[in-house]
Amino acid sequence: MKLWHSFLKEMKLSARGFYFYVEILVAVIILVMILFVVPENFRSVEDEYLFYDWPEGVFEEFVLPTLMEDDLDGKIESVEVEGDDILYPAQLIESEGTRYYIFESEEAVLRLTDLDRPKIGAIIRMDEQSQPYYEYYLQGYETQRLRNVYSIFHILDFDLMEAEFESQEVRSLTDGYLELSDRENIVPAMLTFNGSMMGVFIIAAYIFLDKQSGIIKAYAITASSVWQYLMSKVLVVLVSTILSTVIIVVPIMRLQPNYGILFVLLLASGLFSSTLGLVVASFYRNMMQAFGILYFLMIGLMLPAIAYFTPSWNPAWVQWIPTYPLIQAFKETILVNGDIGYVAWVSLGFFIASGILFVFANARYKKTLVS
Amino acid sequence: MLKKSWIIFMRDFKVNLRDFLALYLLLIPLLFAFGINLLAPSINDTTINLGMIAGENPDQVAYFSQYAKVDVFSNQEDLDARIQRRDDFFGIVAESGEYYVLKQGNENEGVVDYAKVLLTFYEQDVQIEDTNAEIFDLGRTVPPMKKLLVNAGILFISVLGGMMITFNIVEEKVDRTIRAINLTPISRRGFIAGKSFMGVFFSLYGTIALIFITGFGYVNWLQLLTVVLLASIISILVGFFQGVRNDDVINAAANLKLLFLPLFGAIAGAELLSDKWQILLYWIPFYWAYKGNDAVLTQTASWPQIGLYAGIILAISAVVYFLLASKIREGLE
Repeated sequence: MKLWHSFLKEMKLSARGFYFYVEILVAVIILVMILFVVPENFRSVEDEYLFYDWPEGVFEEFVLPTLMEDDLDGKIESVEVEGDDILYPAQLIESEGTRYYIFESEEAVLRLTDLDRPKIGAIIRMDEQSQPYYEYYLQGYETQRLRNVYSIFHILDFDLMEAEFESQEVRSLTDGYLELSDRENIVPAMLTFNGSMMGVFIIAAYIFLDKQSGIIKAYAITASSVWQYLMSKVLVVLVSTILSTVIIVVPIMRLQPNYGILFVLLLASGLFSSTLGLVVASFYRNMMQAFGILYFLMIGLMLPAIAYFTPSWNPAWVQWIPTYPLIQAFKETILVNGDIGYVAWVSLGFFIASGILFVFANARYKKTLVS
Repeated sequence: MLKKSWIIFMRDFKVNLRDFLALYLLLIPLLFAFGINLLAPSINDTTINLGMIAGENPDQVAYFSQYAKVDVFSNQEDLDARIQRRDDFFGIVAESGEYYVLKQGNENEGVVDYAKVLLTFYEQDVQIEDTNAEIFDLGRTVPPMKKLLVNAGILFISVLGGMMITFNIVEEKVDRTIRAINLTPISRRGFIAGKSFMGVFFSLYGTIALIFITGFGYVNWLQLLTVVLLASIISILVGFFQGVRNDDVINAAANLKLLFLPLFGAIAGAELLSDKWQILLYWIPFYWAYKGNDAVLTQTASWPQIGLYAGIILAISAVVYFLLASKIREGLE
């Protein structure tokens, strides 16, 4: 009951301040950006700069048709690429992940590969037996493995390669998996950082506010216990977390997410970040002192976002950062047929961690509240 | 006026030093830099990850190791468990002498094709010795990911400078020392300048430290500093605005989210969006700073280009200034 009263009081106080409204405003801005600014699918394309040093007509007869199969609009565009104030004419073939620029001279490829840094610059010649021969021009930071792949990429005859490639069997451990669009794919990262992890910062700010204005001392002479005071702060942060999450998720994902488990996860992660904030704040007197460590925490907690957006980069140590499973779990909640078991485990982990942090914070504040 | 502004800066500096803040601030760019040096090499290696069963076919393991990151597992369960982790990881598994690719099911098609191509090469016994290709490189050793991180680091530091200004001002408000300024002979402009020094100083120091430690010391410094200084104007303006408009730390902290949002947006957008969507980012000054830094770091920047970016940043800053100036003045009264 006392907790409920403290919570209501805190809610009234925050409704009077700007913070709550800023939180909602930011959520609305994020929503508008995701809905209207972020394209549905935006995978970036990579460039390949090519020159075929072949007799007239051979390229058109043998290579062009294959390249055109993947072309998005079925048309070859004539373009000019600028480099050092010279315009180099080229034919552009645009497939889903790659833009092939076919230049008219060797010099164009060499010059522009240096200037524009495309993924690959290549000159394709013909050897004595009239077989194609490839010269790759790379930037220098490509790994040896990638270079090895380039070395063997064109050894097999194209038709044989295609037939063999198509005959390879791929089996899947799970099915019924529907990929998220690029736009939807941003949502888990946004939820993690806007919703859950901002709690660290916000709750610390709350505590410092009370410390500086002396409210915290007034608390010491009331009948409420310390844990009720702390918990009422945590609840306020949770309310704002849930509000801003709903604002973002509902319009974008509509009915697709499993909202039940999503709220459980939100609650667990919100508790975790706010109790973490409590613990950090207990060691400092004001925001300026705690600022450095909070900033570090935020940066550290953001690292898993790099891993999230680059699936081939997932070192083991990143997977130990709490936001790593959190982003992944958020993703599962908005997926069709998401792995609910995984989300449940992650939530449980966050609940347990929050419990431990809260008990620790409670002990710290009991000791330091009045000093 | 300059001298008085300097006094304010020195006072801020001393106060911050007492709060350990200056220590953090001196350390943050260094830690950024060391972090980037540690991270960059592993991020650059983006070839595919494959897993096989130990002892089953050592030649195959050796073959794939030339083209992919390969891990061996003692049994099928371990391999399955590894594939089911949340990154892109494929198994190459044998069944009655035939190999197949085992995936989790949530990988995108391009990566799956990569695995299929490698398996095709293996089955057709394609060897590097038979190559019909020759590889030349331009001798650039700095991977793009490292450049990206350094660039993002520079912008983060500049925003951090803005945040410091905010918190410095808010703390003065909370301690009720800001009104005392009105009784001193310093002009309002002088006060603003004095408070801003901290942000500029931090931006400059942070950038220089970051650039040297990450090994970019060879860039054109004049160009880089032009971009960095202009970009910090925006951080300072917004930092100031937040500082005078907010009466307590919590509102200031929440408002600073508004500063981070366009920063993230600009970096992510510049890297991920294709050309036709880039126009959506033109209003963000950090976007131009990011592009400017990128050109400087790759040593492809020309002065007209830097001038253009700087001009755009300046123009946006001017607009922001005219929008905020009256409010900052109000806030100081």
